[in-house]
Amino acid sequence: MAAVLPPPTLPPPARTAVVSAALTETNVRVNSDFRGDRIVLYGAVFDPAQRRSDVVVIVRGPDQPVRIARKSRVAGVWINSRPVVFQGAPGFYIAASTRPLDDIARFGVLRRLEAGVDHLAINAPAEQRTETRYGVRDVVVSRLGADYVDWRQAVVRLKEADHLYAVDEHGVRFVDKGLFRAEIALPAEAPIGRYAVRILLFQNGQPVSEKDRTLTVEKVGVERGLYLWAHQRPWSYGLAAMAFALAAGWAASFAFRRN
Amino acid sequence: MDIYLPIAEVSVNAPLLVALGALVGFISGMFGIGGGFLMTPVLVFLGIPPAVAVASMSNHVAASSMSSVISYGRKRAVDFRMGGVLAAGGAVGSVAGVELFRWLRLLGQADLVVALSYLVFLGIIGGLMFWESIGAILRRRRNTPAPPRRDRRPPWLYGLPLKMRFPRSRLYISVIPPIALGAFVGVLSAIMGVGGGFVLVPAMVYVLRMPAGVVVGTSLFQIIITTALTGVLQAGRNQTVDILLAALLLVGGVLGAQFGARASSRFRAEELRALLALIVLLVGLRMGLGLFFTPHEPFVLMSGNGG
Repeated sequence: MAAVLPPPTLPPPARTAVVSAALTETNVRVNSDFRGDRIVLYGAVFDPAQRRSDVVVIVRGPDQPVRIARKSRVAGVWINSRPVVFQGAPGFYIAASTRPLDDIARFGVLRRLEAGVDHLAINAPAEQRTETRYGVRDVVVSRLGADYVDWRQAVVRLKEADHLYAVDEHGVRFVDKGLFRAEIALPAEAPIGRYAVRILLFQNGQPVSEKDRTLTVEKVGVERGLYLWAHQRPWSYGLAAMAFALAAGWAASFAFRRN
Repeated sequence: MDIYLPIAEVSVNAPLLVALGALVGFISGMFGIGGGFLMTPVLVFLGIPPAVAVASMSNHVAASSMSSVISYGRKRAVDFRMGGVLAAGGAVGSVAGVELFRWLRLLGQADLVVALSYLVFLGIIGGLMFWESIGAILRRRRNTPAPPRRDRRPPWLYGLPLKMRFPRSRLYISVIPPIALGAFVGVLSAIMGVGGGFVLVPAMVYVLRMPAGVVVGTSLFQIIITTALTGVLQAGRNQTVDILLAALLLVGGVLGAQFGARASSRFRAEELRALLALIVLLVGLRMGLGLFFTPHEPFVLMSGNGG
């Protein structure tokens, strides 16, 4: 059972399994007819011993702080609580695997690798403080108290509802001996930026090999120009947008005057 | 044919947006209103982030008001002096409104305030208008004459200082009520993504007692100035104006408004008002009543990261 990761500096011994993978598309271009994309990944497992292998593909978008509020009833009206900011949440996350993650590795392993939406290292630092409890110093206490798990689960649940987080238990399929294929659905709402794609090979419940790939989602063409203009020079964009709107309205009144 | 909106960062069906613009434009041309109160909720319903919908509507409303104010101007149905005074108040209101909206977003209470504003203002205006127009329809059916209009102007309108002459409206009143009215509408325009005509027109008729002939044109003129300022401020402060969204709505909106204006001549004024009142009431209830139902999902993600 002692499948130990080799020290990273040494070349892997010949009898260790190695995973290799490539994305068929490394640049997703967001233009005016962007409606989401499907990213296909092919990879191979080289294992002379031919042990049982499981592959997990984790695609992680740029981190974005999440602001979340809870509705509560005040005087008959449902209103939002003070928003809580969660840090460390990726803007996009999908974990695709050959089998359910819980069957591939134990809790501690998955947690360390942040494999699976339940194992993402999301926390709300602004709500935390350290204090001494039962004589133990620096115990992290959250102001959200016992509800903390509910909040954390709600972040994942709402992101899943927006198709931004997903777990695909059979998203990786072996198409031939040692050759696997994964398909990642990227929704139109997926954030812009660099995505980290991590391909992990598991044997006997332990990660034995991994590869990292990057995927870039970027706006191109007019969309990129407008977006950059609106965010980098917001005042000139605002003035130009309004001038355009007023001119369009003025032109329209002339167009219909003739009729 | 779907199109990706660069600022809203969502993909929407372009012909659907144009058709919606046309439908709302038809209603706005028919009733002589801006239609923002109808369009903003529909955009939110389509999945456009509320902050983007509210801000982009400023551009749309400014453009559609521009296209109709020119024809009112030709008919000499715009009191530019009154419009200017209203707009001076509107400028103050829209600056305050954009900052207020920004602050509410930080607190996470923007949705609540938007929904409550729709419920309260559309509910009150729609209710009053419906009551009044049903009364008028019943009177016409029974052939009873309209009750004599009490032409006595509210005394506080005369007691206030800073009086000014408005020749086209045949008024000599203090500038304080129009400035306050303009400021109030400016705040509404920033928070609700509306022009504010549905508040402005009744207030000009019943409070300022302006002649009916210049009310709509003057209100449109003030709406252009206020929404133009709101739109620039929203873009500058919140980066939420999507010009592509506004342009798509405008294409349909301008066309629809022309047909709406023609269609309106086929109906009686009080029937039109009753219909408009019903639409206003329904939108207000649809936006506001959600606050009273137990939500399926107790948590809600806030757009923006608080910066």
